[in-house]
Amino acid sequence: MPRFADLLGLFGSAVVIVAGAAAAGRRLGLPRSKLASLTGVVAVAALVPIGGLPLSALLRGIAGDWSLTTLILLLGDLHRAFRPGEETFSPRGVRALQVLLTAGGLFLYPLALGLGAWDPYRLGYGHPWLVAVLLLVALGSLLLDLRLVTFAVALAVLSWAAAAGESRNLWDYLLDPPVFLWSLASLLARASAALARGRRRGGDEPVRIPAGSSR
Amino acid sequence: MSPARPVLAAVTALAFAAGFTRSLHRPSPPSFRVATSAPQAEGRRPSAPGERRPARPRSRFASKTHDVTAHAASLVELGDGRLRAFWFSGADEGTSDVRILTAVFDPLRDAWTEARTVVEAGGLGRGLFRHVGKLGNPAAIRTSDGTLWLFVVTVPFGGWANSAVTGLRSADDGETWGMPRRLVATPLFNRSTMVRGAPFEYGDGTLGLPAYQSLLRGFAEVLRVDASGAVVDKQRLSTPGQGSQPSVMVTGESDAVALLRPSGQPPPRRAMLSRTRDAGEQWTPPAPVALRSPDAALEGLALPGGRLLAVLNDTDLERDALSLVVSDDDGWSWRTVERLEDQGADRALSPDDGRYARTVEALARATDATVADASPYVRSSRRFMCWDERCHFEFSYPSLVRARGGEIHLLYTWNRAYIKHVRFDPAWLDERLADPSNAPLR
Repeated sequence: MPRFADLLGLFGSAVVIVAGAAAAGRRLGLPRSKLASLTGVVAVAALVPIGGLPLSALLRGIAGDWSLTTLILLLGDLHRAFRPGEETFSPRGVRALQVLLTAGGLFLYPLALGLGAWDPYRLGYGHPWLVAVLLLVALGSLLLDLRLVTFAVALAVLSWAAAAGESRNLWDYLLDPPVFLWSLASLLARASAALARGRRRGGDEPVRIPAGSSR
Repeated sequence: MSPARPVLAAVTALAFAAGFTRSLHRPSPPSFRVATSAPQAEGRRPSAPGERRPARPRSRFASKTHDVTAHAASLVELGDGRLRAFWFSGADEGTSDVRILTAVFDPLRDAWTEARTVVEAGGLGRGLFRHVGKLGNPAAIRTSDGTLWLFVVTVPFGGWANSAVTGLRSADDGETWGMPRRLVATPLFNRSTMVRGAPFEYGDGTLGLPAYQSLLRGFAEVLRVDASGAVVDKQRLSTPGQGSQPSVMVTGESDAVALLRPSGQPPPRRAMLSRTRDAGEQWTPPAPVALRSPDAALEGLALPGGRLLAVLNDTDLERDALSLVVSDDDGWSWRTVERLEDQGADRALSPDDGRYARTVEALARATDATVADASPYVRSSRRFMCWDERCHFEFSYPSLVRARGGEIHLLYTWNRAYIKHVRFDPAWLDERLADPSNAPLR
């Protein structure tokens, strides 16, 4: 009988697989009915064991368990796939979350890889400072009406406190390498686009000749 | 579609109430549990002329299957005084058919049982509800409450940099096992964690599992594992290039010495050593000691009275020599007690050279008096130790246990094809330890 942590892990991998299929379907321009059929079939393939373990178990073996932040974002993406034109999360909230995930990943991953003697991953085993910082983030985002950030942080902390997943480390509920890389790439893309816009404004601005001046 | 603010505020309040509660109840820094067993006689004088000398070390093969690889043994003493060993075996290291085997040694009968499979990749994957492609090093411990723990390296695909660790528990000394549990030890897809050195106990019942990260140049850690098999803390012993595969020797409630394999070091390599005086909260930066190493696994044991015993390949290049060494000063200096294996003179023989076959035959018969036909040992050794027109010897990956009566038991890989068992009479060891001719290593 699988533990709850295993069920959550399999569910998470299934969400990743289904979200991937839905994204592919949208790119192919599938109508909503066909998209629903596709995601339904993929969901069954992801969860139903065929000759041993289901597809989600294969992905779980390769990539491990996903952070709750990743699952929230992917479920939001699936919601948007079937409700086009409806914003699941506010763009402002997504941008704020991306900033936090990027900052968190840049802090965590290089040091966790062995850069130096101190390992910030260790804070995730219940160090009160990390919980306190996250409380500040949650309260700040609640005041600024960045609900996605508040929700993601609160759900991660609650799941960690309840030992819902396989990990006893809070970091694993907050972020994972793919969501960090996605956030970093998104920020870099936005920064690059802003830079390009700034250059275009600077180079293409038409020369204004004051009225009445002679040349 | 974000939740309404009042709902969100309520969820946040609940989350952080639970979070701070959990944080306040996190395991506090523990002390080490010091093993209690028969005291080691100190300062035994060499035998007088005419006096009966202690028995020399006895050996035999723990593994009996030919033409398969056998490697990375881990040994524990069971509740009834027998010993149980675990090792991996298959067509070759890293193949998908590799299993974890186990066998039991009865010291009264001086015999090993036939090995049987305890873990195989497919069954472990089903138990973990995730794909497992292959298996690697086992590491075992029997804790003071009688639970037998077995930790196994697993890989879904690719090489050891893609590894993770799984734990299993047995309440009946290894006859049956509970559901496996994946240890989560890193934030990077939980990858690159491996185990090798013998685990140890903390005073609060949690386990210390020496581990290492195998990505890039690797570094050493200790994972703290609770009774459910979850990692609840970890301590870093080294940074990349400062050594890996730690062997932790607990010398007191707050004191321990860790010997590290010098991974990432350029030759000539020396084993690295780190110390803690606060039960592992802080470890000194690893520093080289006067123990040569060809970048191979080593294992140490703390004896009652503070002596440290270790087994390692004290060579610069290959693993064709193996020595038992001792330190009387907490690892600052070491001296050789006994050269257990030494085939450096026959290094890199041509496969056509009859010397290789004759040497392997002689070594096999010297290891185990029950070996009648040594040709399978030659065949197996050739299979794993001959490549690029040369044949080699390997004696590596030691595992040490001190039994309740004081006898020392050692297992190690023999030519990548067998597991060799050596048992040391405590009286013989005491005599060797007292021998002033064993000069300190430099």
